[in-house]
Amino acid sequence: MSTVQVEVQGLSKNFFDPSRGEVRAVQEVNFECRGSEIFGLLGANGAGKTTTLRTISTVLQPTAGTARVLGHDVVSDPVEVRRNLGFYSASTALYPRLTARETLTLFARVNKYPAERTRSRVEEMIERFGLGDYAGARIEKLSSGMKQKVSIARTVVHDPPVLIFDEPTVGLDVLNALDLQKAIQELRDDGKAILFSTHIMSEAERLCDRIAIIDKGRIRACDDLEGLRAATSQHYLEDIFVHYVTGNDTTA
Amino acid sequence: MNRRTVAALVINDLRQLARNPRVLVFAVALPLVLWPLMWFLTSLTTERRQERIESRTYTYAVADEAAEVAGAADTRTWLERALAVVGGDGPADGDEPTDGPAVRFERVEAPDDVAAALDEERLHVHVAWEAGGDEDVPAPRIVLSHRADLDASDSAEGFLRRALERTRTEVRERRLTDAGFASPPEDLLPLERIETASEEQTSGLLLGRLLTAIIVMMMLAGGSIVATDALAGEKERGTLETLLTTAASRVEIVTAKNLSILAVAFATSVLNIVNIVVWMQLDLIAPPAGMKLVIPVGAGLLLLLLYAPAAVLLSSSLLLVSGRSKTYKEAQLLFAPVMLVAMAVAAIPVLPGVELRSAIVLLPIANLGVAAREILTGTYDWPLLAAAWAVTGGAAALLARASLRTLSAEKLITASELDAADLAGGPALFPRRVARWFAALWALLLVWQLNIGGNIDSRLLISINMAIFGAAAWLMISRYRLPVRQTLSLRAPPARAWLGVLIGAPAGLMLADGVVRLASLAMPIPEAWIEAMAENMGVTLPLWQMLIFFSLMPALFEEVAFRGVLLHGLKDRLTTLQLVLVAGIAFGFFHVDLFRIPPTSLLGIFLVVTVIRSGSIFPAMAWHALHNALALGSARVEQIALPEQPIWWHYALAVLAILLAFRLMKRRTRAAFS
Repeated sequence: MSTVQVEVQGLSKNFFDPSRGEVRAVQEVNFECRGSEIFGLLGANGAGKTTTLRTISTVLQPTAGTARVLGHDVVSDPVEVRRNLGFYSASTALYPRLTARETLTLFARVNKYPAERTRSRVEEMIERFGLGDYAGARIEKLSSGMKQKVSIARTVVHDPPVLIFDEPTVGLDVLNALDLQKAIQELRDDGKAILFSTHIMSEAERLCDRIAIIDKGRIRACDDLEGLRAATSQHYLEDIFVHYVTGNDTTA
Repeated sequence: MNRRTVAALVINDLRQLARNPRVLVFAVALPLVLWPLMWFLTSLTTERRQERIESRTYTYAVADEAAEVAGAADTRTWLERALAVVGGDGPADGDEPTDGPAVRFERVEAPDDVAAALDEERLHVHVAWEAGGDEDVPAPRIVLSHRADLDASDSAEGFLRRALERTRTEVRERRLTDAGFASPPEDLLPLERIETASEEQTSGLLLGRLLTAIIVMMMLAGGSIVATDALAGEKERGTLETLLTTAASRVEIVTAKNLSILAVAFATSVLNIVNIVVWMQLDLIAPPAGMKLVIPVGAGLLLLLLYAPAAVLLSSSLLLVSGRSKTYKEAQLLFAPVMLVAMAVAAIPVLPGVELRSAIVLLPIANLGVAAREILTGTYDWPLLAAAWAVTGGAAALLARASLRTLSAEKLITASELDAADLAGGPALFPRRVARWFAALWALLLVWQLNIGGNIDSRLLISINMAIFGAAAWLMISRYRLPVRQTLSLRAPPARAWLGVLIGAPAGLMLADGVVRLASLAMPIPEAWIEAMAENMGVTLPLWQMLIFFSLMPALFEEVAFRGVLLHGLKDRLTTLQLVLVAGIAFGFFHVDLFRIPPTSLLGIFLVVTVIRSGSIFPAMAWHALHNALALGSARVEQIALPEQPIWWHYALAVLAILLAFRLMKRRTRAAFS
């Protein structure tokens, strides 16, 4: 069995809002993710998925608890955490005036990928994601499908062992979403530990090896699909989700 | 810090800029053409206007009643002579115009309504006589009426008035000669001016006054192009989160952004300067009269070094504003006040009488501006140059740190505007606000001292200063609901602490004397300052007044403000050593006078240590009062002056006494200051 790459223990994150006061976005979340595994965070909008993933990627500071990536703590060793991490979300954009090749070179460099191997790695990514004909074109000129491929390529260009995909298919058409899911599966097969958040049941069902159902900042259940089915006596993930979130049995 | 990462980020920023044709055209290329073009057009317009003024024919009319006025014959002659000087159709007596432009005056019929004629420009200037002979107008005089808001009328009046004044001088001199004046009147007390400044110095003064303002303006204009995009633009595009999730550290990102801003600011400044020089070489624009755009190589290199921290300060300010802005537009909006403040400070060298050896050395950018002016006139005050450089460098470092913290703030990414302290407010928020309060207080005191402080009675000055400290302390305590006892360390100190005060205060005064002596090696204290200091310290006042105003009041109010509120606000954010140095030296800087900063900083450090060791503000108050009383006593007995020769073992003994005093002050029961 692969080693644990991401370890989250008692993670909590609070925000402060003038009208709502202290908002407990994530509460005592525990999970771990291993290599060659897609670990899904399944939850409705505002459930705490993005906050959890942003805390793991060191963009946010945890209010309590710990998160480690390859043993590096997100608070005390954030640069090493990010070095071993690729973060992709619908809100992480690309520089529009760079070409695809320049984008990949930039992200290889800022992620401290070895200088002598940067050029070959960039070409490898261009070939792997089918960007050859567009590598010299500026991002602003590319179609949304091509932009998405460049985004994935820049996420993995420094060959990180851990990848975070935060609701990556939001706003994509069906074909592009399927392409993306295929790419994520391939990355899992390459041995990457993948944290994947979504609110789309079919996506989680298709992709995730294990699923954590998150609601109001808390993880309500965490297991593989079979385990969740056995625990709830529900077949469909949608019913399992409703079971944990509302406590209602939706079986007719 | 990884240089490869920084280089990659800088190249990325510059590449983004270079590939944005709209920005390049509007922010770089267009100003390159527009600035000199505006300069050229202004000079061209001025030249054309002058030509037009000098070549046109002006109309004048003479009041009809002139003939009836007694003495008008003489004045009419004056008018004719004056018209002969400036040109005209009047009956000249053969005089040719002597100097100035030969404009043409044409007499027209005197109108019934002079105001209407002037308004309609049928008439440019109207001449009338007043007979005089009464109290208000003792002698006959000429009255010129014109419209100052109409170019032609205003010019006509100017030409005619100057010609009349010249004629009056000639007539007066002729009459004096006719009356038997021994020598020609123009030979009486002739005046000769001798300029001892070299041409380079005169030119250097002109250039030095403007140089900093020009450079600051160019750097801000250039730097803002990148700064807007640096954080606000990235935030708006969504690339900031992408960047923040990479392995680039926050320090690397801020360094790269600063370097990008500096690179573009520097490049656009150089481009603009080269551009202006080229236009001047082509004789399309001329420099201001008496100014040469030549800087000696040595002075140029020194200026470059001098301006380096100012450049970092400006770029960090821009980056900070960009980081605090949510959108590109908001950043552009917020740049305006930053630019106004920077320009106002950079324009200070234009003011006459401002020297580097004054409190101005404490004002970032302005100090470098004044330093640049002095360098260009050949004055090199090395200790003060170093001080100015250090002050602006310190301010730049603080702003760079602030921009780094902005980049680490979660507000950049999340929709949440607040953190726990913001929401809790009150005491939780105060540590984040204390520096702002004291910076504002320092600025208030600086303005007050520079403009009003020196001109009022020293007792009133002290009272107002103390009232400002007291009011500020009260405001902060009430605004942030600070617990008074804890904030002001109102606790009983250990009994031995009082002995420590008795030992420490005289020893501290002696060490302050040593610090003044050391500082005077770099900054010799002028005699005039010592005399003014003695006056300000009220050596002529009764002893009880001296003690109240110069010993007890500062001991009470300054301790409440500095060892109370300031220390309370800083203590959780700094290590003990940082706290001692920052709070102590800040106290010194509040004694705006340059020569008082070193000894008062040392006193501040001793007083901070006193509060930390004893856990109470009372020994610090006693120390402060005793220190001031002893200083006043010595001033009263001997006047203020440094002894002829320092006695070094006295200082060594003083250091030991201070250490003993601090040892005596330590509380044994618990961590007193926490």
